[in-house]
Amino acid sequence: MPPWLIPYVLLLPGLLVIAGLLMWPMVQVVIMSFQKVGLPQIRGTRPAEYVGFENYTKIFENDLFWTSLRNTVVFAAVTVTLTLVLGTAVGLLLHKLGKAMSKVLIIGLMSAWAVPPVSAAIIWRWLFDADAGIANWLLNLLPDWLSQALFGQADWSGHPWLNDTVTIYLILILCVLWASFPFISVSVLAGLKSIPSELYEAAKVDGSTPWRTFWKVTFPLLRPVFAVLTILSIIWDFKVLAQLLILAGQTNREAYNLSLYAFTEAFNAPPKMGSGAAIAVVLTLILLVITFVHVRQMVKQGDELR
Amino acid sequence: MRIAKIAATTATTAALALGLAACGSSEPEAKPDANASAASSGPKFAGQTLTVWRLGDPNDVVKKYQDELDAEFKKLTGADVKQEWIPWPQVNDKFTAAAAGGAGPDVTEIGNDQVPIWQSQDALKPITDVFKSSPDLSQIPENLRGLETIDGEIYAAPWGGGTRAVLYRKDWFQELKIEVPKTWDELIAAAKKIQEKKGKDVDGFAFNGGTDANHLLGSLVWSLGGDYAARENGKWVGKLNDPAFKEGFDFYTNLVAKEGVSSKSRLTQNSAEIRVRFSNSKVGMYLTAPWDIATIKEESKGKVKEDNLSFFSLPSKDGSGPAPSFLGGNDIAVWGDTKNAELAGEYLKLAAGKVWGTKYAKEGGFLPVYADELSRLESDPVQGVFASSFAKAKAFPADSNWTEANETKAVLQNAGRSVIEGKKDAAAALAEANKELEEILNQ
Repeated sequence: MPPWLIPYVLLLPGLLVIAGLLMWPMVQVVIMSFQKVGLPQIRGTRPAEYVGFENYTKIFENDLFWTSLRNTVVFAAVTVTLTLVLGTAVGLLLHKLGKAMSKVLIIGLMSAWAVPPVSAAIIWRWLFDADAGIANWLLNLLPDWLSQALFGQADWSGHPWLNDTVTIYLILILCVLWASFPFISVSVLAGLKSIPSELYEAAKVDGSTPWRTFWKVTFPLLRPVFAVLTILSIIWDFKVLAQLLILAGQTNREAYNLSLYAFTEAFNAPPKMGSGAAIAVVLTLILLVITFVHVRQMVKQGDELR
Repeated sequence: MRIAKIAATTATTAALALGLAACGSSEPEAKPDANASAASSGPKFAGQTLTVWRLGDPNDVVKKYQDELDAEFKKLTGADVKQEWIPWPQVNDKFTAAAAGGAGPDVTEIGNDQVPIWQSQDALKPITDVFKSSPDLSQIPENLRGLETIDGEIYAAPWGGGTRAVLYRKDWFQELKIEVPKTWDELIAAAKKIQEKKGKDVDGFAFNGGTDANHLLGSLVWSLGGDYAARENGKWVGKLNDPAFKEGFDFYTNLVAKEGVSSKSRLTQNSAEIRVRFSNSKVGMYLTAPWDIATIKEESKGKVKEDNLSFFSLPSKDGSGPAPSFLGGNDIAVWGDTKNAELAGEYLKLAAGKVWGTKYAKEGGFLPVYADELSRLESDPVQGVFASSFAKAKAFPADSNWTEANETKAVLQNAGRSVIEGKKDAAAALAEANKELEEILNQ
């Protein structure tokens, strides 16, 4: 075997698995998005009928698609920003802490990260339950004048959090943020450990403030780490489904995001797998564009630095 | 960067891959067996097993019935029955997976209003021959087979009729000296009195905004002479803008918005969620079916006693008698993919036949579908309420797309919520809902 072939042979099994488990279903979803597909078509007892771009035109005409898109984009923008800021801050804190404290904190963070999305969403739903939730209980403990001044209401008993799109998303952001910033923190910490301490000493000698040191030393060196973390966060936050399904339920359609909209279209009676697939394709395209633009930008900036 | 790229593709496609993995296999369809033989075929089927899906929670009463039925079936045919219980909220998912992947039952219980939608997905086998060959089944009145008959073929056997009435706490009514409400004003007054004395976290009369919300809204609207839609010249025409519909809709939304007899924090609860709160003494009255009593008894662990529970018919606005109830009920059907259609047909004949069908209805809190048995019930203390409103029962638009409007798109639930939250006024919300309802029904 010629030596140049070896890397490709080694890559082959992985590529085959990806092709079989990811690319092929992906291709099927794209095909389906141009068809009218119900359960008999999935089972193969009736042929699927090609409808051209009808699935796409129908979803673009539907108001639900646009509110879902808005919810998805706003949620992702807010959550990605908060996750990265909080994650980095905690990462820096971990770096500063002594061994014992940092271990305790990491164990705590990892436990939050390890909680499955469904369990996390159920926990947060209970925290904000109108009657039995701890959130309303805590708010009721505030002195009435303070609560009145801050929120314009003093009595929080039975206050509903999961009716309105805005408050649903507020809780969803908390829930997703809580479970996803630990990963950012630990990744940032790993990056920080790789920066030689001489650089910080030099910055200190030059009289740099911690803020300046972060932006002039830490951030440029960790740029590749941040690039990957941003992309991953964007992807994760665009696709949130389980948590929203549990917090908002399926009948509250003003609170749909694209994933939940696609899921409902595809799997609720009567199953419209074609239009569900079309929404999934649109979501994937949006993500690909964002990822592509972002990666290009990062690569360009990396070149400038050199 | 390459890692990020690959991760991007991986992550996005993984979700889609997972969704589809379950839908891969396709199985050859068994040919329907038209020559279903007469009921007692002896141990002809010995050694075979039939899978039967029952819907709901297996409380003691229905479990006992099912065990007895299966024992009887084994005696007659020699075949074993494997029962599986599907909780109501999971029915749609289970049916979808079964219809897509072929891992379904042989026989299933099914809500009568679900028959058109699953028939349209090829999930049910036509059983017209089974009907014709059974002296019992052919007695079931034709007006009770409306939802089951599609293009001249019958797809399910009516098993028990279920209308809705208001379940209330008799002990609370006695304690607070409340009379059974005869008008809408009295209903609200009773609900308010309950809340006054039992705490404001108690719902006097629970608002239903979940998947079965239209059971409540429908009754209110029908009692005023309104309706959802009518078929005119081969097309559905929405009737949500009619004054009668709007008046019923106003009363429905005002349960929360104006009168506050049900909490604003539970706008999406369905009757099962209300029942759980009722079992915890947090609800005074709600519209439901008689079979909730058995579940409440178990669920409340004896705290809510059976003799403290009673039903009254949802009144009409001016007290001119009970409001028309929704014509509900459960059917039993042969699953489209069954490999054993003949045996499944035998099971249907036995289960929905006069003896076991009536037993199913009476023990499970349904109304029997056989006319003479039904008329006998009118003097029954619990069932009398239901038997009398069954006569006035009405159905939702008979179209397989109704399920989409009712449950998936939840058109009226969303209209109701937007009005209660003050985002739209009732007229605007109903105008939009009317347009959407027409689009869905006519697609």
